[in-house]
Amino acid sequence: MTGPRLLTADWDKPESWTLQTYRSGGGYQALPKALKMQPQQIVDEVVKSNLRGRGGAGFPTGMKWTFLRKETSFPKYLVVNADEGEPGTFKDRELLLRSPHFLVEGAIIGSYAIECHTTYVYCRGEFRESAMARLQRAIDEAREAGYLGKNILGSGFDLEMHTVFGAGAYICGDETGMLESLEGKKGYPRLKPPFPANAGGGLFKQPTAVNNVETLANMPVILNMGGDAFSRVGLVPKNGGTRLYAVSGHVKKPGVYEAPMGISFKALLEEYCGGMREGSTLKGIIPGGASSAILTAAEADWASDFDTLKAKKTMAGSGAVVYLDQSVNMAQALANLMRFFAHESCGQCTPCREGTSWLSRLLDKIVAGKGEKQDVDNVYQIAKQMETKTICALADGAAMPAKSFIEKFRADFDMLVRG
Amino acid sequence: MIPLPIRQAGPVESPFNPEQQRRFDAGLERAIAKYPPERKKAALLAALHLAQDELGWVSEPTMAYVATRLDIPPARVREVATFYTMYRLRPIGRHEIGVCNSISCWAMGSEKLLARCAQVLGIRPGETTKDGHFTLAEVSCLAACGNAPALLVNNFTFVEKVTEESLEKLIRELRDQPGKKMAPGPTPHRPEAHAASTEHDR
Repeated sequence: MTGPRLLTADWDKPESWTLQTYRSGGGYQALPKALKMQPQQIVDEVVKSNLRGRGGAGFPTGMKWTFLRKETSFPKYLVVNADEGEPGTFKDRELLLRSPHFLVEGAIIGSYAIECHTTYVYCRGEFRESAMARLQRAIDEAREAGYLGKNILGSGFDLEMHTVFGAGAYICGDETGMLESLEGKKGYPRLKPPFPANAGGGLFKQPTAVNNVETLANMPVILNMGGDAFSRVGLVPKNGGTRLYAVSGHVKKPGVYEAPMGISFKALLEEYCGGMREGSTLKGIIPGGASSAILTAAEADWASDFDTLKAKKTMAGSGAVVYLDQSVNMAQALANLMRFFAHESCGQCTPCREGTSWLSRLLDKIVAGKGEKQDVDNVYQIAKQMETKTICALADGAAMPAKSFIEKFRADFDMLVRG
Repeated sequence: MIPLPIRQAGPVESPFNPEQQRRFDAGLERAIAKYPPERKKAALLAALHLAQDELGWVSEPTMAYVATRLDIPPARVREVATFYTMYRLRPIGRHEIGVCNSISCWAMGSEKLLARCAQVLGIRPGETTKDGHFTLAEVSCLAACGNAPALLVNNFTFVEKVTEESLEKLIRELRDQPGKKMAPGPTPHRPEAHAASTEHDR
């Protein structure tokens, strides 16, 4: 194995999720440090760290918190996005199961940095009895130890941390869909501006930071090693730290691997996952969850950071990497993805509600052998028409794979259609 | 303008027996306490989860009752109950087997698994067996892709790295021991990842 393990060092210890294990590995040493700093100093350190949001958008966390700090309306909220649902993504669940205290300590530090006194962890409902139960136990342990509640470690800082559950809706992974859901409503994403960080746009209209589980788990790491050192761990400028890559598909050893941010897909496959499984040849790579544009085998040497992939018209997304082999027909794979998006479109915006369903129906027709060449062209055109026309990114996330699968694997479609 | 007469709604009865009522009330109180005092409506998703925990599904009268408890119009409760997939709007079998159909599970053979499950149970997705033991469903990505293909049993239990043999064994066990309490997972254990030693990870 290569690269430092900043988040996963405890993962193979027995009972890695307990407070005792976390402390023995250096846990809760960053918190007293943080509470002695000015909140702005913490944000400055996060800015220096070049930590980018791990949920999918890759937004600089330090910048998000800088927006929060400029707001003068109180209370402010921190909402932890634990609604992991992007197909291919399973790293937050692993982190919650294996070392939930990383999130607890990170969320306390984050709350102190933006001066909020209530944190909500919004978790997908399916995790209630497993990953979330483990987080709840960690929260209880932390409270017992004086890391949560009133006057934390004698600093005068108060914080309550609550777990809240969704009930099965991909759209609630969108930050404003999540805020609606947290307020007890269906998860229709909100039109922006105002943005969640601004007054009027967040939870109960208050300024709110919405951060991914893994993003916040990096806080103790950043304060322990310093922002500059954290930034240097990443292999690409402006992409700090390590990343939890969730690898699935036809590889020898699927799983969650911590690797330096920006590692190439080839290195991730060969050095961490043992290569493709017996008899498999790499055909395509989904680089950042179902919403990202696919890569061909020849593009496996691309770096996996946010900026490189954006420049190449795809995205690093949630860090979910799916390696697909020669047995996969890419038209069938795309049909599978579009069934997902059609099912999960919330129905608020017409281009998405109708577009994802059209795409799904057309692709099902193609896969059933009843399609024509024109249908493939129509899929491409519809996808193009869906982009940038909706409130949230779900439609763009459906369009990106639709277009790229056809651009890069047109032969797989043509072999299924007439004319 | 002449004000319209307000039609008084009849009393809404609780769908719970006394023991269920106690648990529901206690759970609801905890859920409401997480929010600012004037924001108790935010506890709606939690209230529906609690009701379903007690009754197995969420009926229209249950929605009406939850509405009165949280001062929410019944139509809005219905809107929420029908939006989220974990709420069951009709009674289902004792065990619901949800087969993940998203990309990583699909690549690892979930279509065959679903077909096998349908064959063994003699029902199609969305249906319940005549004896009321099983409901079959397709579910969206469970975040268990490293252990694909995966199942979700009764909304909360993850069963992973499923083969046709292990699926049939699971169905047999659930049929023979209908009240069997299952560990909420992860089953059988964690993916390889950095940590290969996983026996203790329960």
